[in-house]
Amino acid sequence: MKTRKERFRALEYLFFSALTVAVFCLCVCIGSVNIPLGKTLSVFRDALSSIIQRCLFRSSAAFPEGTDVSILLTVRLPRVLCVAITGAALSLVGAAMQGLLKNPLADGSTLGVSSGAALGAVVAIAFGITFPALPFAGTMVMAILFAFLSLLIILGLTARLDRSLSTNTIILIGVIYSMFVSSLMSIVITFAADRVQHITFWTMGSLQGKGYPDAAILFGALLVFGGVILFHQRELNAFAVGEENARHIGVNVRRVKLTLLIAVSGLVGVCVSVGGSIGFVGLVTPHMLRMLTGPNHRRLLPASLFGGACFLMLADLVARILLNPRELNIGIVTSLTGAVVFVCIFYRTRRGK
Amino acid sequence: MKLSVKRTRSLAAVLAAAMLLALTACGSQNDGQGPSESTVSSVAEQDGGSQSAAEDSADDAAEQDGGQEETDSTSVTVTDMVGREITLDEPATRVVALTPSDCEILYAIGAGDTLVGRGTYCDYPAEVSDVPAVDSGSETNIEQILALKPQVLLMSTMSQTEEQAKQLEEAGVHVVISDAQDIEGVYTAIEMIGALMGKDQEAADVVGSMRSSFAEIEEKSAGDGSKTVYFEVSPLEYGLWAAGSNTFMDEVANMMGLTNCFADLDGWASVSEEQVLERNPDYIVTITMYYGEGPLPEEEIMARPGWENVTAVKNKAILNLQNNELSRPAPRLAEGAKMLFDFVYGSE
Repeated sequence: MKTRKERFRALEYLFFSALTVAVFCLCVCIGSVNIPLGKTLSVFRDALSSIIQRCLFRSSAAFPEGTDVSILLTVRLPRVLCVAITGAALSLVGAAMQGLLKNPLADGSTLGVSSGAALGAVVAIAFGITFPALPFAGTMVMAILFAFLSLLIILGLTARLDRSLSTNTIILIGVIYSMFVSSLMSIVITFAADRVQHITFWTMGSLQGKGYPDAAILFGALLVFGGVILFHQRELNAFAVGEENARHIGVNVRRVKLTLLIAVSGLVGVCVSVGGSIGFVGLVTPHMLRMLTGPNHRRLLPASLFGGACFLMLADLVARILLNPRELNIGIVTSLTGAVVFVCIFYRTRRGK
Repeated sequence: MKLSVKRTRSLAAVLAAAMLLALTACGSQNDGQGPSESTVSSVAEQDGGSQSAAEDSADDAAEQDGGQEETDSTSVTVTDMVGREITLDEPATRVVALTPSDCEILYAIGAGDTLVGRGTYCDYPAEVSDVPAVDSGSETNIEQILALKPQVLLMSTMSQTEEQAKQLEEAGVHVVISDAQDIEGVYTAIEMIGALMGKDQEAADVVGSMRSSFAEIEEKSAGDGSKTVYFEVSPLEYGLWAAGSNTFMDEVANMMGLTNCFADLDGWASVSEEQVLERNPDYIVTITMYYGEGPLPEEEIMARPGWENVTAVKNKAILNLQNNELSRPAPRLAEGAKMLFDFVYGSE
């Protein structure tokens, strides 16, 4: 009975799902091109009914056509989907890493994992690394691999300096590692400058022009790696108290840690290979949500999923419409709002103490 | 050398985007300047000082160089495009050009053999790749340039900083700055470089031929501004960028009676994909490079999901200008304009 209280309650699930759906609808309805709400709804209704008729009755019901349909169904909807899933994934990763490393500043971007993943993607592009079986997965596999290696390097270096993996050491190593990676990136650029446009893309991050296949890949990654993370909520709670404590209550520390690190790198790698490195999402959303749910990972992790999706969708909305018809880079919006929000939270919690 | 040509182009595109943005930001700086006059004067020795220095120092200069003939007509004085006056004893024979467009101008006026160094991104004409490359932009290496012992360094306003220019001047290299923001500015740049190289006639010929081909295009074009064109300077994969107003592409489009569908934006700007679909251009011009793998840039645009309703895609009216024909302030703008004209109105 005791554990029930710790869980994410049905009501909370309902609230967060409703919030996410609401934000999702908002982001699909508003965009660079202003399409009236009625029109938007009718496009979706027609598309849905046509799909249903095709699937159920095998009839060749006409799929709606026109510029509005293209904008809504092939440009805006898949993009918002990708953004939502990326946000959920990055935020989940942030929450998990913060718990695993007992470090409130841990996140894919602060530890240099996403820059590592970006470097992997860049190396794959610059040197034309592809896998015969999966010609398009070259960047993705390299991104995941580099994300994992980065994490190992950072943690390895930290462990040598400081067995307890303390906050300051880990962040310091992370910062140094990020700089190191960015200089490596420059070296790759000098060797493969004909691809510089591709390379800058990975460092900036954007989900413009993403389609349903990308959304499917992201969703698959979230399902697999996110599932692994969510499956380890209890262990994360134990880690948050301390590794020793975790060991005492029967957690296989080594195995769990490795599993989680792989899951985290996998998720970061896939996100980066699709949308480039988008900073601050994994750092800020778990912090905001922790104020709402408390530190228990059984509540924090599900909340991070929804909260991250909402945060990134809203950031993307701002990126899309703020300077209309120009487009801002989503990374700029997340870093800008993220930094401000983070400072606010930091001050509030410090003052609270 | 194929690789370096490729890389220079895409880099140049990125750089040019940055430059155009920055140039439009400080565009007023050049207002009212007018074409720079190039005069053959009797001032024999005067390092590129300010204009006021030039005015009151004619006597001084004559005194200083008392030994030299006062009627020396080989000395050359030009005012560069940020208003600095530069005097050379004789037309330059050793030149380093950092900007691709300046390299192109040098070759166009038949002064390509004076080039002793070029910026890394200079890629046209093909023989320029035989000239030693020097780093440009933020990586400009002063020592590298000085080692080539140039008399003149040609650069644009945005590719170098003022400190770098000063350093070079102190080392005795005449720094001449080009800064063309429209076609008229390109003429000015060509005439300025022509004067510098003692190739005034050749420069005048190049300008004359550009003028006449633009005039011909303008005359032949039947457009009334009802057809729209979208200039894509960065493909969807890396975020869409379009050329807005105050770009060479916009100027050329207007010349032939086309409306740039992103004329409400200034310079090159990142645009939303939705806007392109909404604005539904009749023609698409992409300057994306083709790397020899994957679909051609035109094919890539036609295959974009959701773009099938765009008029240009329906009519397969997509032109790929691969070689910076319309993005560089160089004589080839006329070629690019001709290509666009043929594409829109059909070649005869």
